[in-house]
Amino acid sequence: MNELIHILPVSLILLSAVGVMFMSMYEEKFNTKQYITVSSVLLIIALILSLIPLGDSFALRPYNNIFNDVLIFDSFSNFFNILLILGTLLTLLIGENYFRSKEYFKGEFFSILLFALFGMMLLANANELVTAFIALEIASFAVYVMVGYNSEDSKRVEAIFKYLVLGSFIGAFYLLGVVLVYGATATTNLTEIAAYISAHSNEDMALLYIGLTLILFTFLFKIAAFPFQSWVLDVYRGAPMIITAYMASTFKIAIFSFFLRAVLQDIAPMIDFWDSIMYVIIIFTLVFGTWLAITQNIVKRMLAASSIVHTGYLLLAFIALGQNIHAAYATVFYLIAYLLSALGSFGIISHIISETKVRVTYDDFKGLAKERPYLAAMMTIFLFSLAGIPSTIGFIGKFYVFTEAINAGYILLAVLAIVATFISVYYYFKLIAMMYFYPTKEECMDNDFNDKRVSTYAIAFLAIITIVGGIGSAIVFFIPALNIDTLIEMTQIAIQSLFIKS
Amino acid sequence: MSADILSFIIFLPAVVAFGLMITTKHVETVRNIAFLTTTVILALVLKLYIEFEPSAGMQFVTNVPWIASYGINYYIGVDGFSLTILMMIAILIPTAYLLLWEGRTKGYWINMLLVQAGVTGSLLALDVILFYFFWEVMLLPVFLMIGIYGFGDKVFTTIKVTVYTMLGSLLMFVAMLYLGVTYHAEFGSWSFQYDSLTQITSLSYNEKIWLFLAFLSAFAIKIPIFPLHTWIMETYKNAPTGAVFLLSSIMAKLGVYAIVRFLIPIFPEIYVEFSSWFVFIGLFGLVYFGVAALMQDDIKRMFAYSSASHLSFIAAGIFSLNAFGINGALYLIIAHAIATGALFLLVGIIHDETGYKTIKDLGGLAKQSPIFTTIFAIMLFANVGLPGTNGFVSELLIIFGIYEFNHTLGYISALTVIIGASYMLWMFQRAILQDREGEALKFRDLKIKEIVGLAPWVILVFLMGIYPDIFIDKFEPTVTHYLNDILHIGAAK
Repeated sequence: MNELIHILPVSLILLSAVGVMFMSMYEEKFNTKQYITVSSVLLIIALILSLIPLGDSFALRPYNNIFNDVLIFDSFSNFFNILLILGTLLTLLIGENYFRSKEYFKGEFFSILLFALFGMMLLANANELVTAFIALEIASFAVYVMVGYNSEDSKRVEAIFKYLVLGSFIGAFYLLGVVLVYGATATTNLTEIAAYISAHSNEDMALLYIGLTLILFTFLFKIAAFPFQSWVLDVYRGAPMIITAYMASTFKIAIFSFFLRAVLQDIAPMIDFWDSIMYVIIIFTLVFGTWLAITQNIVKRMLAASSIVHTGYLLLAFIALGQNIHAAYATVFYLIAYLLSALGSFGIISHIISETKVRVTYDDFKGLAKERPYLAAMMTIFLFSLAGIPSTIGFIGKFYVFTEAINAGYILLAVLAIVATFISVYYYFKLIAMMYFYPTKEECMDNDFNDKRVSTYAIAFLAIITIVGGIGSAIVFFIPALNIDTLIEMTQIAIQSLFIKS
Repeated sequence: MSADILSFIIFLPAVVAFGLMITTKHVETVRNIAFLTTTVILALVLKLYIEFEPSAGMQFVTNVPWIASYGINYYIGVDGFSLTILMMIAILIPTAYLLLWEGRTKGYWINMLLVQAGVTGSLLALDVILFYFFWEVMLLPVFLMIGIYGFGDKVFTTIKVTVYTMLGSLLMFVAMLYLGVTYHAEFGSWSFQYDSLTQITSLSYNEKIWLFLAFLSAFAIKIPIFPLHTWIMETYKNAPTGAVFLLSSIMAKLGVYAIVRFLIPIFPEIYVEFSSWFVFIGLFGLVYFGVAALMQDDIKRMFAYSSASHLSFIAAGIFSLNAFGINGALYLIIAHAIATGALFLLVGIIHDETGYKTIKDLGGLAKQSPIFTTIFAIMLFANVGLPGTNGFVSELLIIFGIYEFNHTLGYISALTVIIGASYMLWMFQRAILQDREGEALKFRDLKIKEIVGLAPWVILVFLMGIYPDIFIDKFEPTVTHYLNDILHIGAAK
């Protein structure tokens, strides 16, 4: 019974995905709203189920005779599952307006979304390289399909093909890596690989190093680090707005969940081997992402490009892992901060796009603050958070990452990252300037807004969390609100559970 | 209660601002409630000023954990130094409201309140991260004010001022993190409190210089010290009166304040070693900006240069390493805030009423508006340091300070004060007194409300000029403590 509790959320998501798929066979009987309701309710149940063990420190391998040690359920995976479910749920709610306004979002879309979530959750639980690959491909294929969903946009074909072909190509690297690892160690189980590493000296491990580095490439591709970032702009551009948000935030978290586990729990010595590669990659990711973001004229592409810069910050925390464990907390915290702000900012834009077709470039956002002050204010909050301005959770995230990077001795990288932050102020504030400092453009005027929608409330919820997460409890010491320390503690419990020997 | 009074002073304007933002749309209600809030704060600060005992230590301290896992605390307190500036802010802001009374929108007043919260917060913060938090937060409302209510190429101006100040802030941020990490390495626990950071001993000489410069860049941009001043020209010209007032009278002073609060205790040796450079740069700025002010035709730009010139003088005083100079600089902070703040607001009235900004367009105002001219003249004389005004006392003290620091520089500083007098009086003669040919300029005199608003400033100008001891007594022990216990060079005899 105790074991069942832990596998329930994942199983429930799988069942929901299949269930919604069956539902979509009766197309004419249900409308989009019902699909959204059903999926949301199922997600909320899964979320509650995963919240039960939150705060405990555990590491289990339930039903070992069935799963044969390929899946592991610990505080770490539980914590990530919560984030993933929450990310998906918020995507669904923020997209409500968008999904309903577009003809092409049929029932099966929600099934695909749930399948993507299933793949990601499995990835967070994977303790074996091939299982991880399968989980990754389940998630990836679902995302490929969702990228191509926008049948009104001619760019979608380019987007889906670029992503599919490059993604499959990089997937082959992963498999090659697995083969090499297997060749060296005769196992693909992470725990056994760890045992192999600790039992052998450096000279015996050339093959293992090459294999794991190939796997690292897949990781870098999926999170869009340099030099694997070339797909980002076109794919994000062609994908429906809300899917872009999903890819930039939730999918990234899933990828990190597996690689953090692998690196921390099992192949820690590798991080030293990767040190110099990562050093160069971070520099280029930051520089290139910043350059891309400055040169964009379309807001969606700017956000996409800036997500590359955020990948750079995440990698900065990732590289510091080799020096101390606190960097892992920083990585996870930053992921949460980015999830909130990215979902929020992409979400607002998709919410606006679903009503007016013109809000695409910076210019189109002129005067938004006068037309819709609350939306503009919320957008400002998210942009502040992305830029790391104090009083938002993005600031705490950056504080955390930079402190740990300096603590680990990567002072130059930290300075570079702060310079990138500084430049990011320019392209984020430009949008704020557009919203507040100009009169509204006539062709963008639209008088029949209906802002009393699920989407708006979901976005407002995110905005509040973004602020509360940045201010924390001490400033409002008379109101016991969400405490940053609690969040940090949660990440610490999650990471610590990786080291439970079972 | 008395321990929480500081938190109350910081957060009251912010809470009121958010409340007003979502509740009412009525501009006048917003303005009246905002004004009421500032008077409540003034009353609280007065209470604080009376209860404060003149001694070197921090009083009314609140210290509760904020982000406990990083040793970041909500740590605030007040000493003689910050109390003086707090008092100044509390008096200046409500009177500024009275002068800006008509024709503003809701957002304007809300932004003013938010700035007050940010400024007071960074003034009282004793934890560097908390300080950084407020330091950035106070910039955002000003950013909005310039962008929404500014003139001319306001968006470019906004981006320029944001880019400049952010660059400094982020350099400072790196330095703060570096100090925190160093503290962690040395003591095994995290702390960002400024009094913990002063205990760090493991920094090398080069590291200290870099950190010192990183901090200083943020403060110097805000002040601004030559050569980091280029943002102020467009900003003072294109920004709305309220924002110019806040930037020049209040925020610039926080740059000076931060040097004393953080740089002196954390890097005392570097401070002493490089002080002659900064005295020199300060005096150079005094002359450079003074000459630039002489050549201006736009009256706001002229005041911008004049303000920068005086701020350089303050910087020179701060770095002069003796009680005369530092007391004088502190005194000039107050004097300059009053004089420049009033002048910017009065020029703002001219601009609002007539639409003219250049000196040659004006003239003959004296005939139509005697009260305006009188107050303008008083502030002008305070600004150039006429005996009997607070400007005189502070300039004299700084000149003494610099003289003690280095005789030659002392003579130079005494002579350069003439530059200030010449451009100010020349402007006064051309813009206010001299009759203008052609059609008469239509200009109203000050209203009762505005006179009431300016009255405390006029009183302060003379009170501080004639009987400085009642003010100096409050902060002198703090300055002495800095010189004796932190810099170990002994207060002046």
